[in-house]
Amino acid sequence: MKKLAQKKSFQTIFWIILVIAVWEIFASIVEQTQRMPDNIMPHLWQIAAAAVSTDKVSGGMTATQVVLTSASATLLRALGGFLIGAAVGFVLALLMQMSGIVEKMIFPYLMLIQLIPVIGMAPIILAITKDINQSRLIIAAILSFYPVATNTLAGFKSVEKEKYDLMYTYAASRRQIYTKVIIPTTIPYMFTGLKIAAPMAITASILVDTLQGDGGLGCMLSQALRHAMNIYVFWLIVFFSAFIGVFSTYLIGWIEKLVSPSERALLFAKHSSKKKLKPDKNRSHFSMRPRKLAVYHETDAM
Amino acid sequence: MADSVVYQKKIKRKKSLYSRIKESRKCQNILTVVLPILFGLLIFVLWQTKVLHAMMHTDTFTLPVPTRIAKLFGENMSDVLANMRSTVLVAFIGLIAGSIIGYLVAVIASIFPNMGKGGLNIIGAFASIPVIALAPVMNNWTRNISPDANTRSTVAKILVVMLIAAADMCLNAYRGLTELKPYSEDLMKTYAASGFTIFVKLRLPNSVPYIFTALKVSVPASIMTAIVSEYFAEYIIGVGREIRENIVLSQYSIAWVYISAACIIGIVSYIILMIIQSVALKRYH
Repeated sequence: MKKLAQKKSFQTIFWIILVIAVWEIFASIVEQTQRMPDNIMPHLWQIAAAAVSTDKVSGGMTATQVVLTSASATLLRALGGFLIGAAVGFVLALLMQMSGIVEKMIFPYLMLIQLIPVIGMAPIILAITKDINQSRLIIAAILSFYPVATNTLAGFKSVEKEKYDLMYTYAASRRQIYTKVIIPTTIPYMFTGLKIAAPMAITASILVDTLQGDGGLGCMLSQALRHAMNIYVFWLIVFFSAFIGVFSTYLIGWIEKLVSPSERALLFAKHSSKKKLKPDKNRSHFSMRPRKLAVYHETDAM
Repeated sequence: MADSVVYQKKIKRKKSLYSRIKESRKCQNILTVVLPILFGLLIFVLWQTKVLHAMMHTDTFTLPVPTRIAKLFGENMSDVLANMRSTVLVAFIGLIAGSIIGYLVAVIASIFPNMGKGGLNIIGAFASIPVIALAPVMNNWTRNISPDANTRSTVAKILVVMLIAAADMCLNAYRGLTELKPYSEDLMKTYAASGFTIFVKLRLPNSVPYIFTALKVSVPASIMTAIVSEYFAEYIIGVGREIRENIVLSQYSIAWVYISAACIIGIVSYIILMIIQSVALKRYH
């Protein structure tokens, strides 16, 4: 039993079942006591049934089709904005690392923009650009730009002085120092920033949808809320966006494993010599904090 | 002859202005302050002289100049303050309640580490659920709490902020409670300290800096969450909602007043947090 409790998969399944059970208990209570249980808390199986049902909800599309078509409109913009924002953030951090003047000039504003609720500015950006797609891109880009920039800069600053000294004794050029030392060290930090940025980009994109009736998840969400559509479309969108938000973080975790040199080396070592280097079974593959090589040397005492 | 001596001295000490500035500590400190101010001034001047408008292909109607925003801010002071109070109240209560709940959950998880860790993963997943999905659900759930629309939408907004703040605090506090200095727990065991003593004397103090790490994330996040959940709330109040309402009415300059109010809330609350942190962590330094 104790061994079972220590298993990662068992724990996760246990908690998921617990969450589902709590939801269902409340849903049953709501069903008994409220006049419109569908609006407040439908049973999970009702939502699942709505997902697979073939009834046409709007414009000759089933509920799932509505969700997926609007999701593709929203998420593609979120992705575009996210990529632009991440690229700008990385380049800005690189510029700040290379030039002290740029760093001094921009850094306080980089801190400041984190404190400003940029997402509240979504309507005004829509008013300025007058185009819903463009404003989706811009908001998603702004929101993903600063976590990436600050985290990447922190990564640049985290390179130990000894490494610079070593590179100096190797007579490494500036370019070599960047490509061989600084940027590889920064990768885990940058991915921490990306993990923060991804759900924000998605949130922003959905929020911008609600401002104008032009398709997209947010638009459908507010329509379904106003009962212009089946209320289950609302629940499907809620669960879908929750899933996408969570999934985006995991997806970036996967990409990090593929890209970062230290993780790749570990993966390779695991595959080539399974017996020699037994991977720790209790260790999550996607823990939320930035992972370093040192994690593998910890014992499981915690 | 004398000339050449002076010349040679000069060669010896000659440095470019750039490197001299770079090596002088004083100059660097001055630059740290002056450069951002210059940059800010540049933006301000570009904005005020409408160069920014030309760059963004917009007009002073949608993007009023800063002096006009400031003037309107003064004129609408009482309205702005009422809305700011609502937003700050939601963000603050949600933040405090959420942080306390998150901390308690972290304590429970640290007492039962085996199952607790899995639970924390679930909470971590909750943290990345978009606010957009939470806010309307909370509105539906709190529909029957009170006959007064203002009360029930305030409760709904607070609940959303609370969830976000709790998730942040829980994940960080758990690290603070469990990632102890090597051997410190063993030391406590050799003292025959009870579990409670270990908790009070070791885990609790160890988690204090982590609490502030969490707050640094959750203070701006809770303000943002409060603003977003206002969009979906039933009762029309709050800085975020006013931004939207005024844009719907094409009163862009008033919307900018509320945007600046939102920025002020964000910045002031962070400054307050920094002051509290420097007081609370004094003994660590």
